[in-house]
Amino acid sequence: MIQSQIALIRRELWEHRAIYVMPLVIALLVSLMSITGQVAVSGFDHAVDIGILGASNLGENERSAAITVLMISLSSTFVFAMWILITFYALDALYAERKDRSILFWRSIPVTDAETVLSKLATALLVIPLTTFAVIVATHLIVLLITSMWLAARGANAWHLIWTAAPFFDNWTATLVFLITLSLWLSPFVGWFLFVSAFTKRSPLLIASLPIAILPLLEGIVFKTSVFAEAFFVRSVKMPLFSGLDNLELLFQEGEDFKMVGDSSLSLLSLMDLGHFFGSLGLWSGIVVCGLFTTAAIYVRRYRDDS
Amino acid sequence: MTSLVSARNVSKFYKDVRAVDDVSFEIEKGKITGLIGPNGAGKTTLLKAVLGLTDCQGTLSVMGLDPFQQRKELMQNICFIADVAVLPRWIRVKQLLDFLESVHPRFSRSHAEELLTKTKIMANSKVRELSKGMVTQLHLSIITAIDAKLLVLDEPTLGLDIIFRKEFYGNLLNDYFDGERTIIITTHQVEEIENLLTDVMFINDGKIVLDSEMEELPQQFVELLASGEDAEAARQLNPIYERDVFGKKVLMFEGVSRDRLQGMGEVRTPGVADLFVAKVKGAAA
Repeated sequence: MIQSQIALIRRELWEHRAIYVMPLVIALLVSLMSITGQVAVSGFDHAVDIGILGASNLGENERSAAITVLMISLSSTFVFAMWILITFYALDALYAERKDRSILFWRSIPVTDAETVLSKLATALLVIPLTTFAVIVATHLIVLLITSMWLAARGANAWHLIWTAAPFFDNWTATLVFLITLSLWLSPFVGWFLFVSAFTKRSPLLIASLPIAILPLLEGIVFKTSVFAEAFFVRSVKMPLFSGLDNLELLFQEGEDFKMVGDSSLSLLSLMDLGHFFGSLGLWSGIVVCGLFTTAAIYVRRYRDDS
Repeated sequence: MTSLVSARNVSKFYKDVRAVDDVSFEIEKGKITGLIGPNGAGKTTLLKAVLGLTDCQGTLSVMGLDPFQQRKELMQNICFIADVAVLPRWIRVKQLLDFLESVHPRFSRSHAEELLTKTKIMANSKVRELSKGMVTQLHLSIITAIDAKLLVLDEPTLGLDIIFRKEFYGNLLNDYFDGERTIIITTHQVEEIENLLTDVMFINDGKIVLDSEMEELPQQFVELLASGEDAEAARQLNPIYERDVFGKKVLMFEGVSRDRLQGMGEVRTPGVADLFVAKVKGAAA
């Protein structure tokens, strides 16, 4: 069972190379941008030197907070790309094999439909986030390394400025937790996409989007309520992981000089409330919806007869 | 029990259409059975039921298993080629072998590699880079390397040129078939497989119109080439089918002894293709 799951997931990675190619391309672009950015500011010699001097005098917490902001902003590009990747992957997963008729080959192998569909769900909810995570970690290291080399070339102590202050463990653990919880939180959409991908004869993206666009609209007009609108759109942005905290305020103090909160020990992990997340009804009802759609997708793949 | 596939009153409906209509048959171990029928006769539906790809009414047992309910177990012992286009186009030959090695308990990678060295197929090639004929070679090599009891071929050589077709059946007999394994095959090109079949089944309108061993055909069916009065006289013996060839009549008989026809003209055993036309057209008449 485990061995065939691994083989099936490996198969998904062969077919859908975008799962690792897309994050790698973004990583490459981000790394190139960090080089060109540093070359560009090097023109302003004097100001840059003062800036570096200023940074050297900051306390460790402040340097740590500054690096955290940099790391988060790098990660956010990947998180956005990841969701696009998951969406297109799930919509294609059970559609492409029917379109090129290779489904007949896959079904000629001693693997059940449930095993196949579950391997696709696992790819969407686990493999894509983990791949994204690995590339994020690599990108962080590369960008910080490039920055260190640049700093060292200007005579600054990069070890002190960056590497003693960067909260790697906290940041990476928080990123990993965030990616996995995000994919769980949005899993009902993934289930729906897989189901559409299993039954639609054409344009899975269109078929999957239509109800998401139309149901809230109809509901608003007919019943004047917004259950669907909340389920679809509020859900997408309001994940109960951060327990309602506006985390930006923790990084920056509002005020005229917009200065960083130096003395708050900035831990991303401490902003997350996993108990609240895993105790939320929203999460579990979403997982149930995902399970129902996945079951429906298995059923369709098993019972559909395209002849 | 030597019966590998056993069907009792099997039917399959698509809405109001009866694709397979109350069909019963047995296929024994070690046989090569040709399932022959016109388009839409129900061949593919029947094969799908045997492969557990579709459910059906009646009792169908393949190697003692219910194909639809026990598809996974069944697939360890069955292979099938649905037609040439079925291998995923994005996959590399090497990946295909890796995958089968890890999910198929009866797949022998070394055997597949050995068969592939006889072809021009490279381990690093993608299926989409191969010609149609090579894809079929690849598929047959894989399937030959699976130690399965039953092989189902549904129009395996569709769209291939004559050289690949000949080679395909040659390899099938030489590399795959060992007398222990069983093959069910459907094709339009009856003439090409006629010589390798041990059994033949005709299906028309969802019904089996002939189910016979090849060896028995000469006893059951006979064809007479005659003209003029001889043809007229022979017509009294109720031919199942009649056609014109170069101004002469060819009459086909079922269950009429050769002795009765001797002297009326040239007596011979009909080819499977002609027999098929006779049976199917005869049923329609």
